[in-house]
Amino acid sequence: METANGARIDRATAAALAATVLMATALGLIFFYVPNDASEGYSQRIFYLHVPIAMTTYVLFVWGALNAARYLWTGDESLDLRSYVPMHLGTVFGTLTLITGSLWAQISWGTWWDWSSTELNSFLIIFLFYCAYFMLRFSVEPGERRARYSAVYALLGVGLIPVSVLAVHLGQDIIHPITFTRHGANMDNSMLLTFLVSLAAMLVLAYSMYEVELRGKRLDDRIARLRRLAREPAG
Amino acid sequence: MNGRAFRALVRKDLVLEVRGREVVPAMAVFVLAAFVLFRFGLGGETLAGGTRAAVGVLWIATVFTAMLGLLRGFAAEREDRLWDGLLASPVDRASIWAARTVSLLVFQIAVQVLALPVFWVLFLQQGRTPSYGVLVLALLLADLGMAALGALVAGLASTARAREVLAPVLFLPFAIPLVIVAVSLTTGTIPPQTAGSHTVTRLGFLGLYDTVFALLGWALFEYVVEE
Amino acid sequence: MSSSEAVACRRLVRRFGERAALDGVDLALAPGETVLLTGPNGAGKTTLLRVLATVLRPSAGDVSVAGHDLPREARRARAAVGYAGHDPLVYPGLRARENLELYAALYGVDPGAVGTALARVGLADRAGDLAGDLSRGMLQRLALARATLHAPGVLLLDEPTAALDAEGRQVLDALLAERGRTTLIATHEPERFADRGWRRVELRAGRVAA
Repeated sequence: METANGARIDRATAAALAATVLMATALGLIFFYVPNDASEGYSQRIFYLHVPIAMTTYVLFVWGALNAARYLWTGDESLDLRSYVPMHLGTVFGTLTLITGSLWAQISWGTWWDWSSTELNSFLIIFLFYCAYFMLRFSVEPGERRARYSAVYALLGVGLIPVSVLAVHLGQDIIHPITFTRHGANMDNSMLLTFLVSLAAMLVLAYSMYEVELRGKRLDDRIARLRRLAREPAG
Repeated sequence: MNGRAFRALVRKDLVLEVRGREVVPAMAVFVLAAFVLFRFGLGGETLAGGTRAAVGVLWIATVFTAMLGLLRGFAAEREDRLWDGLLASPVDRASIWAARTVSLLVFQIAVQVLALPVFWVLFLQQGRTPSYGVLVLALLLADLGMAALGALVAGLASTARAREVLAPVLFLPFAIPLVIVAVSLTTGTIPPQTAGSHTVTRLGFLGLYDTVFALLGWALFEYVVEE
Repeated sequence: MSSSEAVACRRLVRRFGERAALDGVDLALAPGETVLLTGPNGAGKTTLLRVLATVLRPSAGDVSVAGHDLPREARRARAAVGYAGHDPLVYPGLRARENLELYAALYGVDPGAVGTALARVGLADRAGDLAGDLSRGMLQRLALARATLHAPGVLLLDEPTAALDAEGRQVLDALLAERGRTTLIATHEPERFADRGWRRVELRAGRVAA
């Protein structure tokens, strides 16, 4: 990509710019454009942040798992970071999902957690998995073994997503016997537009953060390697 | 997969445990202590929540007990470099995983044979009881899933310094869906409710859980042990 | 790689993190040949043997053992390789006989061979003893029995003379006198084998010294 005066714009910068534009648009749409929700009122708007963030978390997770599989298949070391960074970002976005979800529950029902929400509860399990992934990553010495183990655990987590969703769905009678009704995905055009823009904004934001973090981590690795080489005696 | 090698590996684990008696007794004591702890913690003379709460206690204690047994064998084999002997042999890595799964399953069942009657004495003597047939079936299915997953997860944790802490951390997120459905399944058979299609669905979920993690364990174990 | 050599390495590299324990090893053993691998501690002798035993995968370079390229054909190579490392690799909680029975199952060896193997290393009368109760010298003999149970064409021995008792030395000598097997012995005491006329290869800092 080139600007008018011929300077090259790299992927990370382009993504960051796009993310900024999209986020600004999304926020504008959320707060000024979309009409109030019939039953929940103005405060329902957090939905347009919460759900896209949650979906982005799942996308990041699948992306990390995909690169994990590729790493195991090819042994290409660069894929380790490409798998780890999405997983890491997934915890960040996951935390935001839980926070926005909690806020929404507080606004809607007056409690800081909504046990009747199957999405939120299955998400909680996935979030715990992300944290465990981190513990694994911190507990093994950096190197080929850590990359392999991280990849294996990431792929194990792939089995966890459908299992969690199904389990929470089946277990609703014990998790929360009284179910609040929540309006479904019948959105009119303006709502749909706002939702999609917000979703796009979150995804592009995640991607730009991915590029930035990837670059940063690679630099870290290079510096660490240079330090180690500098310490070794010559010859 | 080599049947003879698989059987020999299972035999090794079982013989070593019978002679060493390191893990199964500890698991048994643990689960009994856990029952008592829950009993006092959750209610005085009558357990608050009745049978439904008791069912929760049983499943939570089951999961924690399974966690205890996870690292058995793994840590010792890694430390003594006994792994080299297994790895240098032609046995395929999936067989090692499968043998470890079966041994973990046997240990867990052995503990439950002792724990279930005690559980009945402590919790189920008064009040309505769930269907024992369903409960036993659910326990077997859950044990299998936990063993399959545990065999893999123990491998991941075995090289870490803080492996006794890491193994449970890696294992627990996967135990949560299991507990959710198992408790729902069991309480669904407490009168006036009876076993029905909802029971079959939940049992089916346990079977699905087992299949998913058995497949993943089978496929991924070699990446855990090959250096 | 040429499969006429029993063991062949070309520019073999094995890294642990940043450190290269093997840094371009070139080595070839002809079928039936016995070679002594010498060198100071940390030179990479154990790592080389573990790579050849398929316990470790090579980081780079070509390796072939018993005609099979590693790591691609590792599984087939394993059946033809016997490995006795620093540790006896036997389970202390199993009896001597049970240990060999386990390995017989792993290698697809007829269980009847266990008795013969124990007799050959002079442990027939200790077959029912727990391996944890055996002396160091007996353990070493048991390890040799384990490594040769499946009649491997290639034998890799890491410091076989360490902790060996008198009877063990006889067992080892008898073993090494057998013809037809390709053997690589990593040792600190090459003088011990001085009268055999075997080729010596010295490893230094992960490379074969000129």
